[in-house]
Amino acid sequence: MIVLPPTSHRFSLTVLLLFVLSMPGCANVRGFLNESLPFPMHTADGVERNDFVVAKDVDVIGRLAMIRVEEGDTLPDIARHFSLGLNTVSTANPGVDIWVPEAGERLLLPMSFILPDAPRKGIVINQATMRLFHFKKNAHLLEVSTYPVGIGTEERPTPMGKMYISRKKHLPTWYVPASIAADHRKKGDPLPPSVPPGPDNPLGEHALYLSRITYLIHGTNKPASVGLRATNGCIRLYPEDVVRLFENTPVKTPVKIVNQPYLAGQRDGIVYLEAHTPFEESGTANWKKVYAKLKKIEKASGNALDWKKVKDVVIEASGFPVPVSAIPPGSDMAMVEPLKLWHPSRLHGKPDVPEFQTDAWYVLAATLTDKVDARRLAAIINHQGPPIPARVLSKNGRHRVLAGPFENRRAARDAAKRLKIDLELKGVVFET
Amino acid sequence: MKKALLVITMMLALAIAVGGCATKGDLEAVEAREKAMAAKADQAAQDAEEAKMAADEAIMKANEAIERAEEAEMRANEREALAAEKERLAEEKAKEADEKFKKSMKK
Repeated sequence: MIVLPPTSHRFSLTVLLLFVLSMPGCANVRGFLNESLPFPMHTADGVERNDFVVAKDVDVIGRLAMIRVEEGDTLPDIARHFSLGLNTVSTANPGVDIWVPEAGERLLLPMSFILPDAPRKGIVINQATMRLFHFKKNAHLLEVSTYPVGIGTEERPTPMGKMYISRKKHLPTWYVPASIAADHRKKGDPLPPSVPPGPDNPLGEHALYLSRITYLIHGTNKPASVGLRATNGCIRLYPEDVVRLFENTPVKTPVKIVNQPYLAGQRDGIVYLEAHTPFEESGTANWKKVYAKLKKIEKASGNALDWKKVKDVVIEASGFPVPVSAIPPGSDMAMVEPLKLWHPSRLHGKPDVPEFQTDAWYVLAATLTDKVDARRLAAIINHQGPPIPARVLSKNGRHRVLAGPFENRRAARDAAKRLKIDLELKGVVFET
Repeated sequence: MKKALLVITMMLALAIAVGGCATKGDLEAVEAREKAMAAKADQAAQDAEEAKMAADEAIMKANEAIERAEEAEMRANEREALAAEKERLAEEKAKEADEKFKKSMKK
């Protein structure tokens, strides 16, 4: 004869049984998540991009991260969201299409940096890595804020050496230098003598004037150019970064501009080497210094470096710190392995593309047979400064790149003119 | 005595002569063997001829297969070359677009 427990006990047993039965279910769900989503474990906003405390005897800040590309992403958008320059993301991910990366592709985000070999005070800009470091003393702590920058072209390079911030200006006016005015005249795009604050002003909304006359650290109306050699010698920052630098930098702050494509440093007993492709022939002297530093570190620590790895890092020039010494037991491996991040729901600064509208003006920028080419062109147009919205409309194997909508014919014609001058596109203006 | 010796010699010679001659049956058997051997030789020659023909046919088929394989390889190489060319063109186009973009980023 079976004796049933009292009702209250039966209820407890039922709950217990349900709990036990649910355990394998939980494991299965976890297993499913691990299989289908093996990748992200951290939110993109939970990772530090700009501000770090610099401990004594530490030369390496930040950490590497990884993210999966989603449909419609571009490398400039991902770079900006994580406060990286386009050069850095593109170099760390060779073979990935800048404008049309494949959805699902993994991207390495090189959010780890070796501090430049310079006194840790004021602003230090390393041209080779296209990164600015702003050192600040906070009580006994040394803090550094770091931002990616755009610098001068080969023809009009950014000057090197020591200078300081001579003045600052919110909403600056851009007085067009003679050389740029001449360039624009040649292109059939004459500029006025000065450009007031607004979307057409290439200085953006904040400018820090350097003691070296005619050179500035400023924002930009072309954020996608951060990480490129595209200025006339000035230093460009993302709009959101220049605001922070502007607010936290007093006049007279020293500025040192260096060009160090090779950087060596230590953190947690691990020796790192960071190599960038040097500009022209600028790398040899710097490499000699870094080689001597590595030898010195090896001798002082008594820990043999992996010289083959050193050679590989220099050849690859991937632009982020790579360990070149044995990892001591007990080291925090988490700092060496890339952090896996969820893709943010929206990438900061990603250009908005309004829905296709009727009763609006558009510019047919191009008709292409290859969809990827069309998407690439639309993305490039979207990232112009000031932005020009663009999209692809596909029909019968033809992919039309449309710029717009514009409020009126004049705005559309202005956009068509910009597309012609900047991207050599012969656009056709039309009304829907 | 001489007579007896002669008789013995003659008998011996007769016996030798009788033993050395083949019978008719023996001759027939030899002829039959010869015919059989000739037939076998003919068969072997025919078999050899057939085998040669089969071998020739196999070689021909093998040659045809090799030709087909070579053609397939050639087509695959052509396809590969076309794909490589397409990829090169795509890369060139992407590079050209990037260059234009970089230029457009100047002030």
